[in-house]
Amino acid sequence: MLDKIRRKYDVVVVGGGPGGMGAALGARDSGAERVLILDREPEVGGILLQCIHSGFGLHYFREELTGPEYAERFLEKVIQDDVDLATNSYVSGIAIDSNGTKQVRVMNEQHGLFTVDTKSVVLSMGCRERTRGSIRIPGTRPSGVLTAGLAQKLVNLEGYLPGKRIAVLGSGDIGLIMARRLTLEGCEVVGVFEIMPYSNGLTRNVVQCLDDFGIPLHLSTMVAYIYGRDRIEKITVAPVEKDFKPDMSRARDVKCDTLLLSIGLIPENELSQSLGIHLDVITGGPRVSSTLETSMPGVFACGNVLHVHDLVDFVTQESILAGQFAAEWSRGIQRPMDNIRLVPGDNVHYCLPHTLSPEREHTIYMRCKEALKPCRIRVGNLMEKKLRFVVPAEMIMFKIKPDLLEKFYGDTLRIDLVPDTQGENDG
Amino acid sequence: MVKSEQFLCIGCPIGCPLQLQHKGGKITEVSGHECNRGAKYARQEFTDPRRSLSTTVAISGAKGTRLPVKVTEPVEKDRVTEVVRKIHELDIAAPVRLGQVLIHDLLGEENVNVVACRSMERVGSG
Amino acid sequence: MYDVAIIGGGVIGCAIARELSRYRLSTAVVEQCAEVGFGTTKTNSGIIHAGHHSSPNTLKGKLVVRGNQLYDKLCSELNFGFSRIGELVVAQDETEIPELERLKKNGEIKGVPGLEIWDQNRLRREEPNLSHRLMAALYAPSAGVINPYEFAFALIENAMENGVELMVQSPVLTIKVKDGGFVLSTPDRKITTRIVVNCAGLFADKIAQLVGLSDFTIHPRKGEEYMLDKRLQGLVRRLIFPVPLKHTKGILIIPTFNGTIMVGPTAQEAGDRYDVSTTYEGSEYVFNSIKNICPSITAQDTITEFAGLRAVSNSDDFVIGPTKVNGFINVAGIQSPGLTAAPAIAEYVRDLLCELGLVLEEKDDFKPYVPGPSRFANLSLGAQRRLIAKNPLFAKVVCRCELVTEAEIHSAIDHGARTLDGIKFRSRAGMGRCQGGFCTTRCMHLLAGRLGQPFHEITKRGGDSWMVTEMAAARNHRAKKGK
Repeated sequence: MLDKIRRKYDVVVVGGGPGGMGAALGARDSGAERVLILDREPEVGGILLQCIHSGFGLHYFREELTGPEYAERFLEKVIQDDVDLATNSYVSGIAIDSNGTKQVRVMNEQHGLFTVDTKSVVLSMGCRERTRGSIRIPGTRPSGVLTAGLAQKLVNLEGYLPGKRIAVLGSGDIGLIMARRLTLEGCEVVGVFEIMPYSNGLTRNVVQCLDDFGIPLHLSTMVAYIYGRDRIEKITVAPVEKDFKPDMSRARDVKCDTLLLSIGLIPENELSQSLGIHLDVITGGPRVSSTLETSMPGVFACGNVLHVHDLVDFVTQESILAGQFAAEWSRGIQRPMDNIRLVPGDNVHYCLPHTLSPEREHTIYMRCKEALKPCRIRVGNLMEKKLRFVVPAEMIMFKIKPDLLEKFYGDTLRIDLVPDTQGENDG
Repeated sequence: MVKSEQFLCIGCPIGCPLQLQHKGGKITEVSGHECNRGAKYARQEFTDPRRSLSTTVAISGAKGTRLPVKVTEPVEKDRVTEVVRKIHELDIAAPVRLGQVLIHDLLGEENVNVVACRSMERVGSG
Repeated sequence: MYDVAIIGGGVIGCAIARELSRYRLSTAVVEQCAEVGFGTTKTNSGIIHAGHHSSPNTLKGKLVVRGNQLYDKLCSELNFGFSRIGELVVAQDETEIPELERLKKNGEIKGVPGLEIWDQNRLRREEPNLSHRLMAALYAPSAGVINPYEFAFALIENAMENGVELMVQSPVLTIKVKDGGFVLSTPDRKITTRIVVNCAGLFADKIAQLVGLSDFTIHPRKGEEYMLDKRLQGLVRRLIFPVPLKHTKGILIIPTFNGTIMVGPTAQEAGDRYDVSTTYEGSEYVFNSIKNICPSITAQDTITEFAGLRAVSNSDDFVIGPTKVNGFINVAGIQSPGLTAAPAIAEYVRDLLCELGLVLEEKDDFKPYVPGPSRFANLSLGAQRRLIAKNPLFAKVVCRCELVTEAEIHSAIDHGARTLDGIKFRSRAGMGRCQGGFCTTRCMHLLAGRLGQPFHEITKRGGDSWMVTEMAAARNHRAKKGK
């Protein structure tokens, strides 16, 4: 790694995963002279380094790559583009002086505790996994209860198995992918237990990770107890009623020596909160304008820290944009303020960015609340777009062109997802 | 009599629901795909199902101890376990370059290789 | 031959060890778990009681106030966290007020300082987040909170510094009475000693049976506790107690020493001496009880839960004293207020041993101080920089959530951590929001390196609590290479 760190930068990017690398490239492209990526791991690449399965890059590279391949492509670009890279570097805080200069506090074994001054900052710290505590499973606290992501790290980076007889709680993609991975490594995956009546992950993963290996998916089922003195020995599972309470009369024990939790991701915004940046309670990430700027001037956000993504290609697209705007900001280029609020309507869980401006094109990212097919995205009364189907597990992305907003004189634009009742699709 | 099979395309994360109709062992119609990969996949799943495969192998002399690898072409679904076992016999020494071929012509099939999914530099004198 | 062998390295055993380490004696602590305090101690609520709850006619009632008084000196010497935040016993309706008066009188008889009855107005002013339906409260300023495992670690570290020997992973399997002493057998060795102090907690009756004594029995009583989200910090400033029930102080609101609020413990007779499971029923009971006292607290605020087992004797009191077997002392049945009484129990046992004829000659080179762990996250920037200048590993972050550095992990290992929980309890790594998701592999590597153990042999807390297992290929590989 380059580990060259100056004292003054135009743009500092916190996090060197696909989000951070994209932002750094976008910043360089947009004229920022000095760009620095800070990452707490020994290598950049973020979570991609442990995602050894393929499915990345289909949109961006028009190739199907594995996570590490996608990461290395970007690492090459980042090095080529003269971006400074500091690994093993943890950002412990950011202060802002009276001139608006951001002082990023870094901890690094080689250089100790030091500060880097920068004009703008891009936050791309990614997300962490929800833990057992957040869903409060009673029972004992033995070893062998861990998140699917930690299991993935142990298997793919460390070369160890989390156990031999595995139960998976939650049908999120990470759990499904680990079910397959562990089966291929000789483990027995006894089942995936999902509290909702449908799977949370991509259908592709249910087919390829579970059906292919005969691993049962138990929907509307929850883990009611965890047992084991030192190491987990069994779990008690029970079907859930409408109110998500377990029907203990139909509970049964499942013997296992490992329980993987794949119950959701939370954007890691402790640093953002310490800056007083306003967060959106639904996304868990910062509220951003159409330049992906947070409520703190000159601080931008992208990637999983802004909202949890499913396709890294979208992360790349989003982060390049964030980097471009961060670079503009560092050069003193002021964009006209957004004057349109974008709000989620029917069947829309959230939509980003939170505000728009009529002066340029926008990329809208959103998720639906419930599956619907076929359907239409309705953007106020300005535009409608047909979609074959929408599911909560798959982020929706579409563009709004500036000429559309030129005709809009209101201050709030609402996006709805409505059933398409007009017959055949056009696709 | 025309029979119908349902598949969920795994060609990409979109996952188009596909329908394949066949009569007397011959495919009569494929529908539901948004791109050609879907049609190709449905036919493939019916006649010769294959799976893409990635795993890790041991590597020495690098900063990490595992090297992610993949098979460049999808493997017969029924031979996946056998292939994984064969790949796990590999013990690579750093340095490795992204794309470097580690096993040529896996299972005797040309152009089906096992390649490194990342570069790993040699460190120290390990 | 040792002068004293203390069976059980919980807080009681460690407190006694530290007290005895003042004297020219050879003392050993024999602990069955991988580290001290890994039994009941680490699940204790951490409350240093004022002492007005227990009757002056019980041994536990007699020792609690003296124990409370000793904490200031101990804290200044051993540098563990201790804060006298005070306690309120709240009356939910008028019928409970006479009980407050009775507790106040009881406390005054025992010498509990500063007891005051607060009326509703004062209570609302001082603790605005408690239910406005509460009528009055009994305030006890001398109550406080500690981290019980931190206390045990500090005690044993100081004891060892002053010559006490600690043996872990050493369950006592048999005890032979021999030649005016005893021979204890553990899986690895035999320990000869003149005196045995039985502080074996949940297993104290079993240990006593090894020398043919059956004067008391221990039955476990489970307590479930629920830790609440950090954002509720400061919701209450003091320990909040309901008016007590017959054999339990009730469900409490406990601002732990680190500030995180905890609610509990339940009091449920447990089936077996290993059952530390939390339950739906326990959770319901806790949160229903709390609702009337602090309506802002709901079950959804829980971030983690755990349970511990109290070692309750059949007499429901401490069982401390000599026995028919010469030289065998029981220190058993130490339930609440055992943690508070611990320093007083140590003094009491020391005096007992003296009466039994043990010569207590004070050491003139006794070292009373333990410097306490440097918590990087709590230091000023200047202090952080100075630490980093001395040791660059203070700039290497291992636990992101609690900002714990690699230097502190090494320090935890230096001070006795042999397991992931040992690291967690000493450094706080793994206690934060991600619950070890980020730091687990790093801590395992550090432990493996320092202990000279392979990665896959690192455990969560000793025994069978393995973390990972080898891949088949790796195992075969090792076999082939003849490693």
